[in-house]
Order: sequence, then C-alpha cells, then structure tokens
Amino acid sequence: MSKRTVSVWTDVRFWQRSAAWVTGFSAALLIWLTFDTMGQIQMGTDADLKAGITKRVPAATVINYNIDYKMDDHRGHEVPVIGGKEKFFGRDDWSPEEAQALLDLGKLGSQAKNCMNCHTLLGNGAYYAPDLTKAWLDPAWGPNGPYLGMTGKDTKEEAMAEFLQHPSQYPTHSRMMPDLGITAEEAKGLVAFLKHMSSIDTNGFPRNFGKKDLTLREKKAN
Amino acid sequence: MLFEPFTDIVPSFFGTLNQYPLLLTIFLHTVIVIPMFWIYSQEKERLENEA
Amino acid sequence: MANNLKWESQKLATWYFTVAAVLFGAQLLMGLIAATQFLYPAFLFELFDFSVARMVHINALVVWMLYAMIGSVYWLLPEETGIETVGVGIGKLLFWILTAAVTVVVLVYILVQVGPADQSTIWLIHEGREYIEAPRWADIGIVVVVLGFLGNVFLTAIKGERTGIMTVILADLIALAGLYLAGMGYTDNISMDQFWWWWVIHLWVEATWEVFVGSLAAYGLIRLIGASRQTVEMWLWIEVAMLFGSGILGLGHHYFWIGTPEYWWEIGALFSSLEPLPLVAMFVHVTYDWGRETGQGHEVSNSPALAWFFTNAFGNFLGAGIWGFFHTLPQVNIYTHGTQFTSAHGHLAFYGAYATILIGMFYIAVQGTNNIKQLKATFDSKMAIFLITLGVFGMTIALTVAGYGQVLVERAQMGATWEAFFISQDTLWFVQGLGWRLAMGVVTLVGFVYLIKDLLSTGKNPIHVR
Repeated sequence: MSKRTVSVWTDVRFWQRSAAWVTGFSAALLIWLTFDTMGQIQMGTDADLKAGITKRVPAATVINYNIDYKMDDHRGHEVPVIGGKEKFFGRDDWSPEEAQALLDLGKLGSQAKNCMNCHTLLGNGAYYAPDLTKAWLDPAWGPNGPYLGMTGKDTKEEAMAEFLQHPSQYPTHSRMMPDLGITAEEAKGLVAFLKHMSSIDTNGFPRNFGKKDLTLREKKAN
Repeated sequence: MLFEPFTDIVPSFFGTLNQYPLLLTIFLHTVIVIPMFWIYSQEKERLENEA
Repeated sequence: MANNLKWESQKLATWYFTVAAVLFGAQLLMGLIAATQFLYPAFLFELFDFSVARMVHINALVVWMLYAMIGSVYWLLPEETGIETVGVGIGKLLFWILTAAVTVVVLVYILVQVGPADQSTIWLIHEGREYIEAPRWADIGIVVVVLGFLGNVFLTAIKGERTGIMTVILADLIALAGLYLAGMGYTDNISMDQFWWWWVIHLWVEATWEVFVGSLAAYGLIRLIGASRQTVEMWLWIEVAMLFGSGILGLGHHYFWIGTPEYWWEIGALFSSLEPLPLVAMFVHVTYDWGRETGQGHEVSNSPALAWFFTNAFGNFLGAGIWGFFHTLPQVNIYTHGTQFTSAHGHLAFYGAYATILIGMFYIAVQGTNNIKQLKATFDSKMAIFLITLGVFGMTIALTVAGYGQVLVERAQMGATWEAFFISQDTLWFVQGLGWRLAMGVVTLVGFVYLIKDLLSTGKNPIHVR
C-alpha cells in the first residue's frame, strides 16, 4: 500500500459527500420536526375547550369564550388564557360548524382583502398598519379606547365589524385604512378570525403586551 | 432567557432536549459533524491508495 | 440589438433578461409610490392603496428575479454542456405563455385589487399571502412552465457534458421548483398557513436561491477572470454544504412566534446564526480569486459584470448575513419581529444577494450578444452600480434607524399595542428615517435609469475590444 501525501481538504469528492450528507440529514430532520410540529399546531376541538385542555391553536369555538393574555412564570413569558363563556355577537353557543364557518369566512376574507399587505398577522406581513395578532385584546378596542365611542357600538366585536365596513369613517391617525368593500357577514367572519388568532400560543409574542413605560426594575418587580 | 429550563405545552423528543441550555444545539451539531470525520477518513484512504 | 448569438438558448435568455429588467423598473416605481404613502398617506388613497402598491412591488421583485434566474440558466446551459438546449423551441413558447400570464396577473392586481371572501378570489384575483399572492390559476400555470423549463435543463444536462456547476444547478433547481408547491394550498389555520408559507420563502431565499447564486458566481469567475474550474467547483461544494447545512434548519428562525413549539427557538437561532458563514466564504473566495487571477495577468473580460459580481459577494454578506444576524436571535427578534427593521434587512438582502449578480448576468448577455471580447466600464455603467448600491444601502440605513426607533418606542416602551404602533410611527427618528428612505429610493431609480441606458447602448460603444 503506497502512502503518498494527500490533501483531503482540497478533494472535490470529500466536499461532494459532505454536502450530500449535511443536506440529506438536515432535510430529513426538518421533515421529522415538521411532523412533530404539525401535530402540535393542528386546531384543537370543541371538546378540548370544554375539558380545559390547552392547545397551541384552539378550535374555532374559542369565540364563545373569554380570551386573555397573561404571564406564565413556568414558561417565562405571556400565554393566552381561555376563560369562561363570553358572548360573541350576542351568542355564546356558536356550534362547532357555525364557528368553523365564521372562521373560514374570516380567513378567506383576510386573504381576499389583502390584509397582510398593510398589516402583520403573527408579526408577518407589511409594516404600514398595526400587528393584528392581539388586536382582539387591544386596549384601543376596549372600554377605554376610542373605537367603541366612535362607532357608537356597545360591544367590541360590533365596533370592529362596523369599522371594517367603513374604515375611513373612523380614523385615529392620518394613515387611514381604505374601504375594501367588506360586507357585514364578511366583517363578522373577520372579527371571529381576529378573536381566534389572539388565542393562539405565540410563545410570548408580543412581549409585555399593553404594559407601558416600564423600566427594567419595574418589570422585574411585576 | 434561553438559559433557563422551559416547559413547552406538548412533550416531545426535541422538547425534552430543549429543556437544557444548548443541549439540543450541541446534540444536533455533533450528530451532523461526526459522520464528516468518517467521510474524511474514507476519502483519505481512497486518495492514498490511488496510484 | 445586434444578435451574434449562435445558441438559440442564449437568445431565449436575452428575452428573459429583457422582461426581468422591465419588471425591475416596475418594482422601483411601485416602491416609490409605497414609500411616498408612508409619508403622505392621502396619496392615491382608495385609488391605488399601499396594499396594492406593495403587492405589485414585491411580486415584481420575485418575478423579475425568477425571470433573470431562468434566463441565466438558459444562458450558461450551452456554454457548460457544450450543446444546444434540448427542446429550446418549447422553451420559447413557454416564455410567451408565462409572460402573458404575468401580465394578466399584474393587471388584475392593479385594476381589480380585492375580491369577496370566497375561493373565487383566491383562484382568480390574488391569494393575499405575501410574495406568493399569485392567484391559483397562475400558480398552476407557473408549475407547468417551470416543469417545461426543468425538462429543458435536465434533458440537456444528461445529453451534454456534465460539469460540477451543472450538477449543483440541476439538483438545486429541482428543489427550488418543488418548494413552490408548498405555498399552493388553503387552510383556515393561520399557524399552519404561515408554517408552509415559510417553506417557500425561506428555503428559497436562504437556501436554494443562495446555492443558485453560488453556481452563478462560480460560472462568472471562470468566464470573467479565467479562474480554474477545479478550484471554483471545489469551493462551490463547500458553499453548498455550508448553505444547506445552515439554511435548511435555519428555517426555524421563522417559527419563533407563529404558534409553533418552543424548540424552534434553539434550532432556528443556532443554525441560522451560521448562515453568514458561507457568505463570508463566498466573499473571501471571490475577492481572493479576483486578486490572484488578475495578479497573474488574466484580463478581466467584462468589467461591469465583475463589478456587479463583486458587489454581490459583499452585499450578500452584508445584507443577508450581517443584517440578518442582527435580528436572528429570539431575544432580539421578539422585539423586532414585524417592524421596519425587518424591512431594512429585506431590502439590502434581496439587493445584495440577488439583484446584483443577476444584473451582472445582464452584462454578460450584452457582451455575448454583441460579440465583444472585452467589455469595459463606461461612465454610465459606473454611475449605475454606484447610484443603485448607494441608494439601496442608504434605504437600508434609513429603515434601520426608523426600525430601531419603532422597536424602542412601540415594543420596548409602549407595550406593542395599537396606540404604541401609531405613537412610534410619529416619532422623529421614524419619520425622518422614512423621509431619507424615499430620497434614497429616488437615488436608486436614477441609478436604474443609468443602468438601462448603459445596457441598451454599451453594445455599440467603440471602446470595447472586439
């Protein structure tokens, strides 16, 4: 056996095989992780909600419940908290089929009206308009915010639906939302979509939601 | 923040490895790099034995 | 333009390059409209809203780059394999079909804009998902055309001479094309929607497209400065290993906050932190080869092209590598996710990694079409590269400042609410940042005008060596 001095580092075959191995392994691992993740982000069922089983993406019937967003010390960040029954457009007994239909209409609406090209959903999209991930929980739509009064509605969902149908009538900033021809039914679906999205576990994004002007010391004390 | 143990919602193999600081990373990088040593020595042998 | 091309495949390439350049111009115009609307929101309000301008801006971007990439393959295919592209006649027909489809899609975007909340909108108008807004009918058309293109490439590669560059391109194109399918679906689960969406976008721009650039750079170094094929191809395999090794699992850095499990924090952060390394390698390699070859007396056969290739090596590292790294760790990203910071990275990355090298290919095509032995830089070519690079880099800095201000006020201080968003949008840093962005966008457009002027006229310029 002749042992001449060789340089493996400059040998094409070594790098070809390394490239093939690294790519193949990474791709295989990605596929395994995808299966695992798919299982975890499948939408939950109505039964899960009734039994209090936490799912990363709850069922559509989460619109029947109160949703909050609170710090979880165990996980180290804020998490959505699904509470007791709460009326949504006057009902807290939306059946799984009805809720699914509303959610579907809303999701299609969010695509058909191109929301993502002004807003961000789960932080992804365009940066012209606010992030909609926790819009359902946003103080602007709550009792102390401007929209209830401006739209003359009693509930958050009605205010949102009214706004969506005539956005440029309710400006809060010079950067206005245009009229996109959203119908009353579509508006309801969109609000259901927003309420559902706020119940998704985003690993704590956005952080310190709603907490203003806190210094580091104050945050730690909280 | 990444240097504290977490508990994710659903236990899984990767979630478990993810519990300890950098364990998941070190595990994966090791698994990827070790076979490259084997490829290296195979190629070295092949090159040395080529006339 | 005088046509001295002996390969039909290269003629087809010039058609693709021409449409690409036109779409690039459209991208810039749309960008200027959108940038203006940030500062003057009443501009074209309810006539041509931001969402429409932005949609056309990013679709023109993606389509011009895909056109230029397809054109680049048709250009280098006969040179690498030594034979005419198999089925080039079909390739030409597919070009016309694709271009007609793109035209219809863009006109619908501009004139129809939105539709009712049902599947008909998704099929006929747009899908409303960033970058891949193309309506389903067009998706299917694209799949068919790309299959035809892949057929051209594959049949030619197996018939002609097989080089390392061709092997990489072939494997890469199959992955690139296949990934598009991941975006062709509808689900009412927004987390699932975004999970698959990122398979297309990330595994395109941070994996398959980067490998494609590596292949083009390899081809370019051989063509432009006479680098040795063996060296260049060895580097290409190293780059492929590093790009896919970091990029495939680096996909996880888009799975921090969309509802997916927490283990993606670590996998995404630590693999994607490695993504700049292959870009360093490409930068070092290109610079070193340039120095060595020209030092050994090799003439540069196309100076503007080489300048664009060099800008690519540097811009790729800076825009994709550095700016990307800034916000790839979840500790940072939780505050910067979905802000102008992201936009800053996006602008410099797309420019530095892709626009630059594809413009370099335009110059290679101009050289070949006019049978020029040595294409020299002209005043126009220098103005073009200088102004476009200055413009984009300036936009990036401006957006970084605006983004930094936004993150500080909206996310860190004010609790990421609706109110926080609008307050941050009105802060001085933000508004001035967007003002500078618009100004630098105009600079970019002026540079683009010089580029087109040069590309159209330099073929006739007597200063070149023929």
